[in-house]
Amino acid sequence: MIASAASAVGDVLSSEAMYQSAMRFAIVLAFAAVGEWIAERAGTLNISIEAMMIGGAYSSAVAWGAFDNVPLALLIGVLMGVVVSLVQAHLSHQLSIDQFVVGLTLNLFVLGLALFLDSRWEAVTSVVKPTKVPLLHDLPLVGEALFGQPWPMYLIVPVVPMAWWLVFRTRWGLEVRSVGDNPQSADVSGIHVNRRRREAIMVAGGCAGLGGGVLVLGQISIAGYEGGHVGLKGIIAIAAVIFGGWTLRGTLIGCVLFGYFFALQQTLPVLGYRINAQLAASLPYIVALLVTAVFATRTRQPRALAQPFVRGLT
Amino acid sequence: MEGAGAVALAPAVRLTGVTKRYGPVVACAGVDLELLPGEVHGILGENGAGKSTLMKILIGLVQPDEGTVELGGREVVIHDPQTAAELGIGMVHQHLSLVEALTVWENVLLGDASKFDRSAARRQVMETAEHYGLEIDPDRRVGELSAGLRQRVELIKCLRRDPKILILDEPTSVLTPAESEQLFTTLRDVVAAEQRAVALVSHKLAEILHATDRITIMRQGRVAERSRTVEATAPALAKAMVGRDVSLRTNAAAFGAIDLIDQGDPADQAVRAERDEAEAAVVAADRAARPVVLSIDRARLMRDGVTLLDDLSIEVRAGEIVGVAGVEGNGQRELGDLLSSLVTLDGGSVSVNGTTARTGRAGCMADLGIGVIPEDRHDSGCVLDMSVAENLVLDRIGSTARMGLIDRKRMRARAVELMREFDIQAAGPDAPFGSLSGGNQQRVVLARELGHRPTVLVAAQPTRGLDVGAIEYMSNRLRAAAESGIAVLLISTELEEILALSSRIVVLSRGRVIGELDRREATSERLGLLLGGVGIDESTGASA
Repeated sequence: MIASAASAVGDVLSSEAMYQSAMRFAIVLAFAAVGEWIAERAGTLNISIEAMMIGGAYSSAVAWGAFDNVPLALLIGVLMGVVVSLVQAHLSHQLSIDQFVVGLTLNLFVLGLALFLDSRWEAVTSVVKPTKVPLLHDLPLVGEALFGQPWPMYLIVPVVPMAWWLVFRTRWGLEVRSVGDNPQSADVSGIHVNRRRREAIMVAGGCAGLGGGVLVLGQISIAGYEGGHVGLKGIIAIAAVIFGGWTLRGTLIGCVLFGYFFALQQTLPVLGYRINAQLAASLPYIVALLVTAVFATRTRQPRALAQPFVRGLT
Repeated sequence: MEGAGAVALAPAVRLTGVTKRYGPVVACAGVDLELLPGEVHGILGENGAGKSTLMKILIGLVQPDEGTVELGGREVVIHDPQTAAELGIGMVHQHLSLVEALTVWENVLLGDASKFDRSAARRQVMETAEHYGLEIDPDRRVGELSAGLRQRVELIKCLRRDPKILILDEPTSVLTPAESEQLFTTLRDVVAAEQRAVALVSHKLAEILHATDRITIMRQGRVAERSRTVEATAPALAKAMVGRDVSLRTNAAAFGAIDLIDQGDPADQAVRAERDEAEAAVVAADRAARPVVLSIDRARLMRDGVTLLDDLSIEVRAGEIVGVAGVEGNGQRELGDLLSSLVTLDGGSVSVNGTTARTGRAGCMADLGIGVIPEDRHDSGCVLDMSVAENLVLDRIGSTARMGLIDRKRMRARAVELMREFDIQAAGPDAPFGSLSGGNQQRVVLARELGHRPTVLVAAQPTRGLDVGAIEYMSNRLRAAAESGIAVLLISTELEEILALSSRIVVLSRGRVIGELDRREATSERLGLLLGGVGIDESTGASA
């Protein structure tokens, strides 16, 4: 038993396919997680990140089927993510409806809408061939994972430093951090608290929409587009932010961790291991639950996270 | 008369007939106010007199219903703090406007509209700091700074924008006496050398008399009186502030006026001091003979790696009032929480008459006979949406219930009884609690806690936000409670309140007791040193 477990670990660790699959999941998660990170730094626990991803995934797939143009399809995915985020932002940070009620409703609504529309405009998926970086691509084990992905995956390379720059090197980012930590202070300093929060949610929507588009066009699943394609990856992105202690670096490490567990579920059967399919499928979520339980300490989170701001209440 | 004979200076700001209503409540009623360049203008008034609302109008956080604001002779409309900043109005807020997670320079930059430039911002912070002698490290996180340093950051934030008008709202509430003194020195500088206009908002007579050139006294939303500081006397100011003759001595706590009283006629003072001394010695000896009721022994409380209570030990004897002094945020809240059964200790114990509490269990402290007037009566003292009667029986609901059902008749009878005893002004026992005035709300909390005949009464900031009459009532009740044999622990950040009520004083700093004084040996200076974090051995060593 122990010996077989050890050999399984050995097989997994030496499997090139495993690294490649894990990296793809990690990158898709990272798009959403970076967006979520910004929204949470502004003080919104934005659970509708899932809906934003679904919107991006479905519209990208439809757009690709219609125009046969990957960049355009991704752009449409981004826009759809922003559209969903506008709904969240307006309801929770303008009309002051509870952000969780809005988020939960939005998640169910967009999923249902995508399933419904799928029966009319069929979504097509996944055709971008991997781009192989010469030489580097031939590195053992991780060559394929890091240098042999379909090109949309590499969009994460500019997105991450841009997000960091936006949050830590611009006035907008400073204001975003201030409204997430102490909205009353930000208000008396002359900052439009809810406007900044809405904008941060829109950035999250754009990132998540892009993540959804990359998910369907980057050939992650073996099957084509399915209604439930996103499969709670947005929620896992939230767990990654918590795991990362609301730092960008930690969030990315969280994405790699969760990407790994998503990959296990795909790779283990390929490697010839029989594992209960339901258990394998639930692995990332079990890990996410454990991670949030362990890492969700109050010291590191933005102090006003998930607290609505109404002017005059101090 | 104002301005008579003096050189006519154009006011930096002029408010005319400013009125602001919140529903039926009039916060400001036709207020006229002029701030002159090169002057510190004290705005004095009780809580709720309309001082803060007036300042919020100047800074753009509140829009007036009527009246005009003129800056340098030109009428302006101040929509928001950003507009105010552009017009040259800066404010140091009572509850500071800083973001703990950001660094000093980031905070200083926050709310600016100029280009975002890190190195330029840091340089400006250091330049401003140097110019005013307010030394600060621009890269420290504000969350790591003491209250005094935070206020320094706030001042720098204001001054960097070169304001023509600087407003300070109750600036000394978070400061030690030494820090307050330094603040006033800086203000003098700002005013005299740079011809800025400064508005100093305060309810403390002593600091208004000490640090201003001109005084406007507000009462119930109106200007009650104006005078030049050199012509003002403490009793006259107190009278204008409250609207009736008041004894500064008995109300020292309310006016922040302990120091003023000590400056009375020296001969009279010596006689009085002698008499007080003799009296106090007898009382103290008597008290020392009484049994220790409440004993907190090496209480230790950690949260997220931060030590909040650090081997804290306090004993309170029957019939004495022990005052816990300290600058806000040094463990007072945690001490109150501990005695309200809200936290579980990581070490040490709390016992009443020898019975040790199982800390952390809901109600464990109440079971031992500890009654608590909590720091924030809205947050943890009562339920605003419930009736007065319900709030009065809230914590011991079993006493008015039969077989799990509330006996409303009994509950109301009990409420009527307590309302009479504690003179609670309300429409009746069924009136919603939220409809009561602050003073009456506090009486409800007091009545509930004393109604159970506790052996220990903990009063945390019991007079915060109350007017003079309510403060007087509360002080008398606390004294009476002690005289009836209850061990009273008074936790307060108002030094005057501590000095006026306590027979023994312990000083908290960073969650630990750094000094304990008998009331007789406690002077403002000595307490001031302790509040600054100088331990008792060091302070006596320094004065020797």
